[in-house]
Amino acid sequence: MLQIYKRFWAVNWAAQWQYRANLLMYLAYWVVSPIVFLAVWSSIARAQGDVAGLNAGDFTAYYLTLLPVDIVTASITIHILASKIQDGTVSNALLQPVHPVLTNVLVDNVAFKALQLVLFVPIWIALVLLFQPPLTYTLGSLLLSVPVLALGFLANFLLSGIITALAFWTTRVFAINEAYFILANLLGGSFVPLAILPGPLQGLARLLPMQLWLYFPTQVALNRLSAGEIALNTALLMGWLIVLFMVFRAVWNAGLKRFSAVGA
Amino acid sequence: MRRILRVISAHVRVNLQQDLAYRVDTLVNIATMMAWLGYDLASIAVLFGSAQNINGWLAGDIIVLLGVFRMLNTLMMSIVWPNTELFNRGIREGTLDYVFVMPVNSQALISIRRIQVWQVVNVFVAAALILAGIATSGTPVSLGEAVSFLVLMVSGAALIYALWIVLISLTFWFTKFDNNVSLLQALIDTGRWPASVYPMWMRLLVTFVVPIAVATTVPVQALRGELSPLEAVGYFAVGVAGFGLASLVWRAGSRRYSGASS
Amino acid sequence: MTLNASTPPIAVQALSKTYQVTDRAGGFGAAVKGFFKREYKDVKAVQSVSFEIAQGEIVGFLGPNGAGKTTTLKMLSGLLHPSGGKANVLGFTPWERRDGFLKTMTLVMGQRNRLSWDIPAADSFLLNQAIYGLSDAEYASSFGELNELLDLKEIIRKPVRQLSLGERMKCELAAALLHRPKVLFLDEPTIGLDVSAQARIRAFLKEYNRRSGATILLTSHYMADVTALCERIIIIHHGQIKYDGALSDLSRRIAPYKLIGLDFDDDTVVDLAPYGQPVTRENEDGMQYVQVPAEKVSAVTARLLAEQRVRDLTVADPPIEDVIERAFHE
Repeated sequence: MLQIYKRFWAVNWAAQWQYRANLLMYLAYWVVSPIVFLAVWSSIARAQGDVAGLNAGDFTAYYLTLLPVDIVTASITIHILASKIQDGTVSNALLQPVHPVLTNVLVDNVAFKALQLVLFVPIWIALVLLFQPPLTYTLGSLLLSVPVLALGFLANFLLSGIITALAFWTTRVFAINEAYFILANLLGGSFVPLAILPGPLQGLARLLPMQLWLYFPTQVALNRLSAGEIALNTALLMGWLIVLFMVFRAVWNAGLKRFSAVGA
Repeated sequence: MRRILRVISAHVRVNLQQDLAYRVDTLVNIATMMAWLGYDLASIAVLFGSAQNINGWLAGDIIVLLGVFRMLNTLMMSIVWPNTELFNRGIREGTLDYVFVMPVNSQALISIRRIQVWQVVNVFVAAALILAGIATSGTPVSLGEAVSFLVLMVSGAALIYALWIVLISLTFWFTKFDNNVSLLQALIDTGRWPASVYPMWMRLLVTFVVPIAVATTVPVQALRGELSPLEAVGYFAVGVAGFGLASLVWRAGSRRYSGASS
Repeated sequence: MTLNASTPPIAVQALSKTYQVTDRAGGFGAAVKGFFKREYKDVKAVQSVSFEIAQGEIVGFLGPNGAGKTTTLKMLSGLLHPSGGKANVLGFTPWERRDGFLKTMTLVMGQRNRLSWDIPAADSFLLNQAIYGLSDAEYASSFGELNELLDLKEIIRKPVRQLSLGERMKCELAAALLHRPKVLFLDEPTIGLDVSAQARIRAFLKEYNRRSGATILLTSHYMADVTALCERIIIIHHGQIKYDGALSDLSRRIAPYKLIGLDFDDDTVVDLAPYGQPVTRENEDGMQYVQVPAEKVSAVTARLLAEQRVRDLTVADPPIEDVIERAFHE
């Protein structure tokens, strides 16, 4: 099994490497939105002194940490797989005796983000020099964020797998994904650190899984959470992982059944 | 000119037909657009839940700005993007040749071959936002402010359109350069907020290099009475000049293309 | 799930597949109407198809476009669930998609690439080695054999996008055969290739079949593929089997007539209508042809020799393309 992953890595890394110029363009999209929110919130905080206890520097550090977190935990499954499901070419993968999502697509995701990180590092250094954020990382917080990021990515990967599998039923899967993306932006911490969301919305956001791969790892890396908060969120993340895995399996298998009924 | 209008209306008709055939897609697109509107309004609500103003811009001003931004973004989504894809494919596969054998202005033709007609809904939403924003802020708007706002909004959009024409024309010289329009789209998001919130280097970028602020912040400034007549005329002139310059670049590029492919 | 020698590797019983498709008319008015109301209709792609294929056979699966060939192949390779009927491939029900089944068969679609476009085929081969769980020794011997037949050594080092169509097809076939499948489903394996590349693929398939004893079911638009490879053909049209039997019997059963070719003294042109149905052949060889029912060949020949000044006379089967074309429309 390990061999399979190693070979998939070799193939996907080589393929992604060919598209590095496009990747750079893709990164531009990735970077702009957090920078815009960074600018908006820190200019408000600068004018008022603070927003909900966060000063301009806190906002800058938050968004500049969120950027690499987002890259590490993001999933491009829908872009890899949805069109293949729709045009039927997914059947190539279905002829093989391994689970396409849990092998090839997973590894392709990892290869994509590995390459993206390589290209992103110089951009990130430039942004840090431009914005001069007070980065409150410690060795411990960075080490702790590694497993948190890994689990967060897996959870997001499974959720995106569920959304992608909807392509077996509907051609509108990208619209569904967009609706989800809007929700994730608002409630995951991309728009604003959760503490600033109004009460009921904040409560909901804390329970939903999206913050677990955006807000939570960012706060862990910045060393802003207490041990209790870390334990609670980790437990929540584990719980969501199990739920998402079961739902993914059920949806994928049902999708395959449907695919073999209608064909493509 | 009459012929170009006829060609445009024929394209609108064909594209509308397509939007109607994919009915659920069209409804889903409109629903998604409304969801983004909800997101934008929610983010403004959250912002003004914790702040009275953003660099002196009140909630009403920000809503007007959102309306102007959505107008510009509609231009990008309904015309610029679909036609960029078509253009790039044309260059790759050589089908662009057909554009140059037709008896219509080639720049006009490549700009309107694919139009997402349903996006017209977005124009109404954007107009409603602008009116709602003006009502929210409660400051009366003089006729001069209203006129300069409208004129600068149009000339700003023309400037972005011109930039697009220049960007795709560059493909005639540098074929590898075919995803440069992505850069424009990536930066469009900065137009949601007043340019003054950005640090100086970014403000310079979105004003002079990729002049999104000229198409979004500037018209709203005119509406708020913050622009001197000289500034207003200057920005308008920039839009007109950009438009003219772009068509020169397009003509030079297309001459080069037909020279190279024959 | 054990197989004994007498069990055919492919057995199909009353296999059927019905699709539902939307009915959409053209025009602006229809588009507006379709926005509000949509009509559906059933398409019977495959209707109660039955056949068995014995171990080691190469069977040509023929029919015009849309006849149900690809749908049948997809059902037999487990990609499609039938609407009715049974199929047994090597002891498995294909659409249950057991790993054991997937590891023992292969599907090659000439119009659909499985190899990753961006990397050399060699890397995809290694990936397949891992996916199909082949040991290094198994892989080496399997690859060695394929390399001997297809001469892959050079071409698998280049990214697939740089290969010619023929080279790419060689790699596709090799990738599909590395795990030594016992059953091969080939859908238009030579489509788009030039004549010499077609001939090479054909020769390969024949030799591969001889060496491995694998069972092959293939579709092709090229009759040369069929005549070179298949002793038996199955003709399907509108989802139903029209003919299942030896290729050599087809003309007797479907088109019981012969072509008499004639060359006359002094190259005169003779009106052959009194003897049968005159045929103009595209391939001009200076001879005149007349089509005659098989049982009348000897009588007509005798009459021709008696009544005309014949320099040369040949009797031939009608071209297989014509016969199959006829079978489609009967």
